[in-house]
Amino acid sequence: MKILVCMKQVPQKDAPLKLNESATWVREDVSYEVNEPDAYALEEALRQKEKHKGEVVVITSGPARAQQVLREALAKGADRAIHLEDNAFIGLDAFNTAKAFAAAIKDEQFDLIFTGLQSDDYGYAQTGVILAELLGWPHATIIMQIEKTDGGIKVKRELEAGYFQFVDMPLPAVLTIQSGINKLRYATLIGIKQAKNKPLRKVTLADVQSAIGANMQKIERLYIPQKMKNTEFIEGAPGEIAKKLVEKLRNEVRVI
Amino acid sequence: MADTILVVVEQREGKLNRVSWETLTAGQALSAETGWPLEAAVVGKGVSAVAAEVAGKKLTKVYAVESEKLEPYTPDSFSTALKQFISTKLPKLVLMPHTYQVRDFIPKLATAMGRTVISDCIGYKKEGDKLLFTRQMFQGKLAADVSFTGDAPWFATFQNGAFRGDKVEAGASAAPVETVSVEIADGVVRNKPQEVFKEAKQAVDLTQAEIIIAVGRGIKEQKNIEIAKQLAEALGGELAASRPICDSGWLPMDRQIGSSGQTVAPKLYLALGISGAIQHIVGMKGARTIIAVNKDSEAPIFEIADYAVVGNLFDVVPPLIEEVKKVKAGS
Amino acid sequence: MLIFRKPLEGIERPQMPADVVIVGGGPAGMACALRLSQLIDAHNAKNPDSQLSKENIYVLEKAREIGQHCLSGALLDPRSMRELLPGFEKQAPLDAEVTKEAVYFFTQNGKFKLPVTPPPLRDHGNYVISLNRFVKWLGSKVEEAGITVFTGFAGAKLLTDGDRVTGVQTDDKGVDKQNQQKSNFEPGYDIQAKVVVLAEGTRGSLTKELIAKFDLAKDCNPQTYGQGIKELWEVPAGRIAPGEVIYTMGWPLTPKEYGGAWIYGSKDNVISLGFVTALDYPDPRTDPQHVLQEFKRHPFVAQLLEGGKMVRYGAKSMPYGGWWSIPPVAGNGWIIIGDSAGFLNSARLKGIHLAIKSGMLAAETAFEALLKDDSSAATLDTFQEKVKSSWIKQELWKVRNFHQAFEHGFWRGMFHAGLQQFTGGRGLYNRYPSTSGHQHMKKLADLPADGGNEANLIGPVKGDGKLTFDKLTDLYHSGTKHEEDQPAHLVIHDTNICHTRCVKEFGGPCQNFCPANVYEMVDDSTQPNGKRISLNPSNCVHCKTCDIADPYQIITWVPPEGGGGPNYEGM
Repeated sequence: MKILVCMKQVPQKDAPLKLNESATWVREDVSYEVNEPDAYALEEALRQKEKHKGEVVVITSGPARAQQVLREALAKGADRAIHLEDNAFIGLDAFNTAKAFAAAIKDEQFDLIFTGLQSDDYGYAQTGVILAELLGWPHATIIMQIEKTDGGIKVKRELEAGYFQFVDMPLPAVLTIQSGINKLRYATLIGIKQAKNKPLRKVTLADVQSAIGANMQKIERLYIPQKMKNTEFIEGAPGEIAKKLVEKLRNEVRVI
Repeated sequence: MADTILVVVEQREGKLNRVSWETLTAGQALSAETGWPLEAAVVGKGVSAVAAEVAGKKLTKVYAVESEKLEPYTPDSFSTALKQFISTKLPKLVLMPHTYQVRDFIPKLATAMGRTVISDCIGYKKEGDKLLFTRQMFQGKLAADVSFTGDAPWFATFQNGAFRGDKVEAGASAAPVETVSVEIADGVVRNKPQEVFKEAKQAVDLTQAEIIIAVGRGIKEQKNIEIAKQLAEALGGELAASRPICDSGWLPMDRQIGSSGQTVAPKLYLALGISGAIQHIVGMKGARTIIAVNKDSEAPIFEIADYAVVGNLFDVVPPLIEEVKKVKAGS
Repeated sequence: MLIFRKPLEGIERPQMPADVVIVGGGPAGMACALRLSQLIDAHNAKNPDSQLSKENIYVLEKAREIGQHCLSGALLDPRSMRELLPGFEKQAPLDAEVTKEAVYFFTQNGKFKLPVTPPPLRDHGNYVISLNRFVKWLGSKVEEAGITVFTGFAGAKLLTDGDRVTGVQTDDKGVDKQNQQKSNFEPGYDIQAKVVVLAEGTRGSLTKELIAKFDLAKDCNPQTYGQGIKELWEVPAGRIAPGEVIYTMGWPLTPKEYGGAWIYGSKDNVISLGFVTALDYPDPRTDPQHVLQEFKRHPFVAQLLEGGKMVRYGAKSMPYGGWWSIPPVAGNGWIIIGDSAGFLNSARLKGIHLAIKSGMLAAETAFEALLKDDSSAATLDTFQEKVKSSWIKQELWKVRNFHQAFEHGFWRGMFHAGLQQFTGGRGLYNRYPSTSGHQHMKKLADLPADGGNEANLIGPVKGDGKLTFDKLTDLYHSGTKHEEDQPAHLVIHDTNICHTRCVKEFGGPCQNFCPANVYEMVDDSTQPNGKRISLNPSNCVHCKTCDIADPYQIITWVPPEGGGGPNYEGM
């Protein structure tokens, strides 16, 4: 199985974020880490490789610092990496990012493409699905399990409210992987050493420029959400408090 | 063509997914502000009943987009059907609720039409002629106002709870319903889904829970968690905890909320005996409504609570459970 | 039941040979790696037929990223960096050049400026830096030079063979709270190294193991320590100039405690401020984080911080003992550098430049060992000689008795310090003795119940949330994070002592001296005194204070699973 895992480098979950000058994005000087859902996508890909033999290739787009994500993936066992390296890639919307990836892999023959469920910074959950459409491949989202079958694969999809569904799909396909489905493996010292000699192909903005177009959406402004809070104290005997709370739950919060 | 707003509601097995009312509320609000007429569409097989239900609301028209191949749901069938339909109508704005199913196909649909989606919005703003969609970024730490810079149709999805489904306006009279058949050729649908089934989840994903009852040190002993559990059951919510509770092993670690646990933004967060240390607050301050019960009137949690009860949770919770059950049984 | 971390037994461990393994990626370790690389490059250029490889030289860094666990004020004396990288000022991240110094003696509401800045505290020519950013930069140079830095890997155990150190074992990963293997378990590697350089920083755990194993400290003064607690603040413009350096002594400490504060103006309206409290205070209820909060309430400081925002918090211990506390620093297969050895000038409050210089000298020694293919004491002992004939000794010799005199109170210490200024460090005798800080801790029975003069230093702070903070809020700003499901890495050798003796005698001082709320005595009716020790190991900021200050010396800090710890961004 030849599997491509799309990975993204995002600001660390608890990093203090500062707005840039135009308040349209955050400042660069923050710690980064791999997008957590992508780490689970990679783990799933590595497990599939262990089961069915094959190759795991990782791809990311972003400035030089994003290479760290690829290095860590190679250290964990990925075979090759592709880095679309340019600051400009940060500003591309999901559609263009998917177009850039599609262009970068046009000469490859993958059986499966995995992405994480969504990114911790944007949270759009679109890139994988867009990529599938661009490639003309079937896709499924929020996948918990993957099994190889004669006709392709059988995946377990997570739905709302505790429901699940099995889906049979042909290959090649794009899957977005649910987080937390496996324990993530650690990179070993040997793995880290070996990663240095694994192929890392760089792709420039110019290489994919013809494939991408203008962004179709724009962040006009980014800001700290202001919450106007007027705390209402509920008083009285416990029985009264219970009645008042239930009234709020019913009419204000609308959960009853 | 005149600019219209199209709300695509969601149905499953002939029943309307109630979150669709929220999207209609959003559509009605946008329609009022922009002057663009509001229409709705239901997609599936044998959806006339759902279409009729939707037609009872204040909008100009409802479409029942029908095909055999739309049952069961697959992204291929829905995307193909809606692309066909939307290409003929060319609304300005297409709105859907941000459900698991919509997430599964709307980026595909938009891409197939060469368009874009602003997903998981919590609101919108109209500034002059410009329409901006607000969404949370960086797991709720920041908010963004996003605009469309490309051509219509513009696609947007709204987060569950962003609008109030109960505020959707009824129509003076039923809107006309038109059935639209769509052509889905053989071979278009590639996925073969099986029956959906329910299963006890192995790990709890608190980020998807709408109602969370959380306990802190104020619960005092492990056995007291039982009353919080009963409250959670009565309300149909999930049980969660601050770190000390999970550290002591009283609840598993996947129930932990906070900087070292999960970050959640449910409709309701009910904090019992939680002081509100910053490590916990950062995991839940995005909740739409926060109710806190704590003995200490100076507990920091009260600074972010919408409703506060200064009192002994062991006195307050049992009557609350009874009252909730009573009201739910009666309604 | 508390289960403590220890390397799993009876398992097969992957083996990895190495020429040199440097444990610790701080200023000392990175300087060592860089210098070694320079020497190898120079050698290879001149000897095309007998090239040395950098392939098997490793730096082990327990933090997830280089520099993440580095915390200091800091002021850098550029002397050693200029030797390591001439012209470094042009590329290194230096925040400001020191322009102005002042030393104050504080009283509760007033201050008295020393008319003359004592020579050790004169900082012209030095730079205000963020050690975290500086080490990040230095580390990038090490990686560029082709030396592998393994981040997220700790040195968990020394490998020895008789009187030889033969290597280092890295941490076991994927071990649960019960010390059982999880499904993603990865055993620590046995790195068999010719030369092991211990650069773990203050109170290094492998260093402690080595010193104990070979009884290295038998002829030295016991090492003594201080705990530095730091907050980084963003303040309105114009409050303090970049490069402005302020030291304070006195309030809130009494003459019975040793310590003082620093306030450095950095760039972008950032202030680095912190308080160092020597870990030999008498009252076990003393809480150094409380001391810092109290310090900020002084009108001078409060005014400085008014309207500002605290952005980062952290703590670290530091070795005060000076020259006489430094153990033998080299032997069969091992070298100790930086704070682990104790190369810190406590009069100048500077150690980074000494750490760097010691790293360079160790590199030169290790290089010789690689050339000669001999890393026995015969070759490595030359490190000791190199240190003795370098400016490290020159500098530390002059202050060799500085801290010891303060053990008897502030004023006596000042008297001796003054004397030492004029006698090349000798003072009254060539070698002043010292005692371990924990031995100064008095029992609660011998102290006033309300703390007496120390009342404003003891116990937890509530904080006002704007100028002063409770410990948990401060801790949140350290960014500390660990894998939750792992055994406790604060190894308490006999919890019975906690429950039967400490609770009564000292009241559980771990709750107070730990800056991270790791230790708690919780109610437990089954215990003889109604209290049980409870740990929050994932709060730990790796300062090592507990290992140092516990009055019974029953706590051994070992590294938790690599990758965990504070995130000292900008510190």
